[in-house]
Amino acid sequence: MRANVLSAVSGALAVLVGALILSTTAAAQAQAPQTSSTDSSSAPVYNPYPPGILPSDLNTELLRVVREVDFIEARALSKWKALPPPVLTGQPPTLQNTGTAAIEVLGELMNYDKSISPFRNVACASCHMPYVAFSGPIPSVNLTMVAYPGTVHFRAGKRTAQRYTYSPFFPVLQYNQVQGAFFGGNFWDSRATGYLLRNADAEQAQHPPVDTQEMGNPDTACIAFKLSKAKYRGLIEQIWGKGTLDIDFPPQTAQICALPGGAAVFGTNNTPVPLGPEERTRANIVYDHWAQALDAYEQSVQVSAFSSKFDAYLHGSYTLTADEKAGYDLFRGKGNCNSCHLDGRSTAPTPPPPEGTAPNSQDTGAAADAQPLFTCFGSANLGLPLNPRDTIFYQDKPDSFGFTANPAGFAFRDLGLGSFLRSVAAPNPNATWTQYAPTSDGQMQTSTARDVAMTPAQCPTTEAPGPYFQKEFFHNGYIKSLKQLVHFYNTRDVYPYKVTSGHCPAGKTEKVDCWPMPEVPNNLDRTIGSLGLTDHEEDQIVVFLKTLSDGYTRPFDNADTFTGSCMRGGSAKTQGNEFLIPTPPLPTCSASICGVPPLPGPMPIP
Amino acid sequence: MIALHTKPAMAAALASLLFSSSGAAQVNAYVAKEQSPAAKAPRVQIARGPELESADESTAIIRWTSNNPGGSDEHFAVVHYGTNPKELDQTAKSHIRLNQKHAETVFRVSVAGLAPRTTYYYTVDSAQASGQSDGIRSSVGKFTTPGPGERIMRYPQPN
Repeated sequence: MRANVLSAVSGALAVLVGALILSTTAAAQAQAPQTSSTDSSSAPVYNPYPPGILPSDLNTELLRVVREVDFIEARALSKWKALPPPVLTGQPPTLQNTGTAAIEVLGELMNYDKSISPFRNVACASCHMPYVAFSGPIPSVNLTMVAYPGTVHFRAGKRTAQRYTYSPFFPVLQYNQVQGAFFGGNFWDSRATGYLLRNADAEQAQHPPVDTQEMGNPDTACIAFKLSKAKYRGLIEQIWGKGTLDIDFPPQTAQICALPGGAAVFGTNNTPVPLGPEERTRANIVYDHWAQALDAYEQSVQVSAFSSKFDAYLHGSYTLTADEKAGYDLFRGKGNCNSCHLDGRSTAPTPPPPEGTAPNSQDTGAAADAQPLFTCFGSANLGLPLNPRDTIFYQDKPDSFGFTANPAGFAFRDLGLGSFLRSVAAPNPNATWTQYAPTSDGQMQTSTARDVAMTPAQCPTTEAPGPYFQKEFFHNGYIKSLKQLVHFYNTRDVYPYKVTSGHCPAGKTEKVDCWPMPEVPNNLDRTIGSLGLTDHEEDQIVVFLKTLSDGYTRPFDNADTFTGSCMRGGSAKTQGNEFLIPTPPLPTCSASICGVPPLPGPMPIP
Repeated sequence: MIALHTKPAMAAALASLLFSSSGAAQVNAYVAKEQSPAAKAPRVQIARGPELESADESTAIIRWTSNNPGGSDEHFAVVHYGTNPKELDQTAKSHIRLNQKHAETVFRVSVAGLAPRTTYYYTVDSAQASGQSDGIRSSVGKFTTPGPGERIMRYPQPN
């Protein structure tokens, strides 16, 4: 019965895909967006950007993703309706049999629910779609803006959308005294620590709904309010009990929650929904449930699937091709990638010295970890150049709500973990950590290498000439292909130039034989930068990275929902270089960032 | 009193334990070698280098390869330097993540704030996250920075 339903849905999808391809093609010819047709509010569009910063197909692409989001939401509703209700039994009381499925599908329903945002135009998934392992779904945004538009078009954040996959496996943030380093947390800057829910991923899910640049709710109680009116309210009550959503919201709640956070009318009030202490507590509990359900979805086998070629290889049911094996040996040998992207093996074969570092090339290691996560949960400053296309730099003027995201303009610097520890980026819940800010400046979380290469089936690669799906890599999206990513690790210190992006000397090609200087020169990681890999060896590592994409041993859930277009042509080495723009003369780092103690050091940040 | 009575027996047991421990250690060492040949080296030392990787008029990168010093994964490569070989009073250090699965690790340090066309002398060391030295000491090496706009590249470039 359920299979028949899915089959019917697939048929409908095929028709939808055909229709959407046509509309997408036409839309690609549209000019720079001046209005937001996806925005149900009457708010004027916020466009502080010079021409060319926003991609010309932005509105049509946002509409495409909305359609895809709605399609998956409808799928999830069907899945929920088909789910036998769990039975609450035992001591402690447990939702027997379908309890796990219930909370996972609840998280899925929440993830694709646009009605949570003030203008009902943005769901969590709007920036995190399954066909790219829940990273950014719009090729042109990945090529230009870096961050994705939030509920207010076109406010946008400052960093790339991180993949959901395996984020629930990151531990609660901790400072390890022996290692002198932080491990765990979620987000590029680890600011979702997990300090209260004891689950970094769940706490991560509590940030975007009230981030001014993302969903933009003005109050966490708005999420509880909107969940109380959700189509899936019954499922929430089934899991957490009748009455869990019975909060006495005042009549003006709907009006308050339809305004974006940061609006001048709210002043500095983070709880504009007027709730008494008991009602506020109940709303907070609902918001914790929101977080736990989204974490359940992200931790489920639908999202963190362990279904890659590499998993099959560890299991013994897949044999790596010669290039994949060579790439893997480089990944854990000469490339030294597994010093941070831990692969769970106990030994590392490398070529003999002087190129290699291990004594022989024999793979004598067993899999010490049956499902390695390809991250050490730590953070590093890899020395990415400042990306002048990052939309955050341009948001230095107030929008129609009187909100200015970044008054510092190009004096903004992304210090990553360091800014969080100083409570600049978000409140740091542990004062004993603040002292480590100067040794953490510029550090960003080590992503899992799993699913870095995942693309929709119709665009089978991230790499030009393709057909490829344009992704963006690292926290500021400076890197546009995996070839460039590996080449950066390999040659950052071989081709360093004391210039900003867009200013490589004549005769040099940025990202090929010219790497502009780091945005944050402090705490630069020198494990990488001059690995001595040949061009062919770089390619082999890229081939290996593709074995880490889920969806090999079984289909990846909802990976079939991409209805956009692939890109073609060019070379992975220079992919996206046509969109490089010259970095303007940079003012020194804003005092609101670099002037907050403990000050960056030993060298000041330019 | 009781202790005195049991002392001979304890001594025998101790001797037996020492003997078996010794045997066990050999077995474990063999197993460890098979599964993890890159554990902390018995004697931590530099295998290659130190040498100048690259330099421009104000910055130099020094690199060397050590066998595995063990200790914290989070490590620092350290250079003590100066223009007087008998007074290496300046220090530069760079962050390195030790790959405990590798028998050897490449350490690299960026030394900034140098003067052009100047000869510098240096020794290298590495340290754990705590700052504790690995006890590696090189002999004194030297390099000369190029003039403005010039660049030295000693390490082989990718082909």
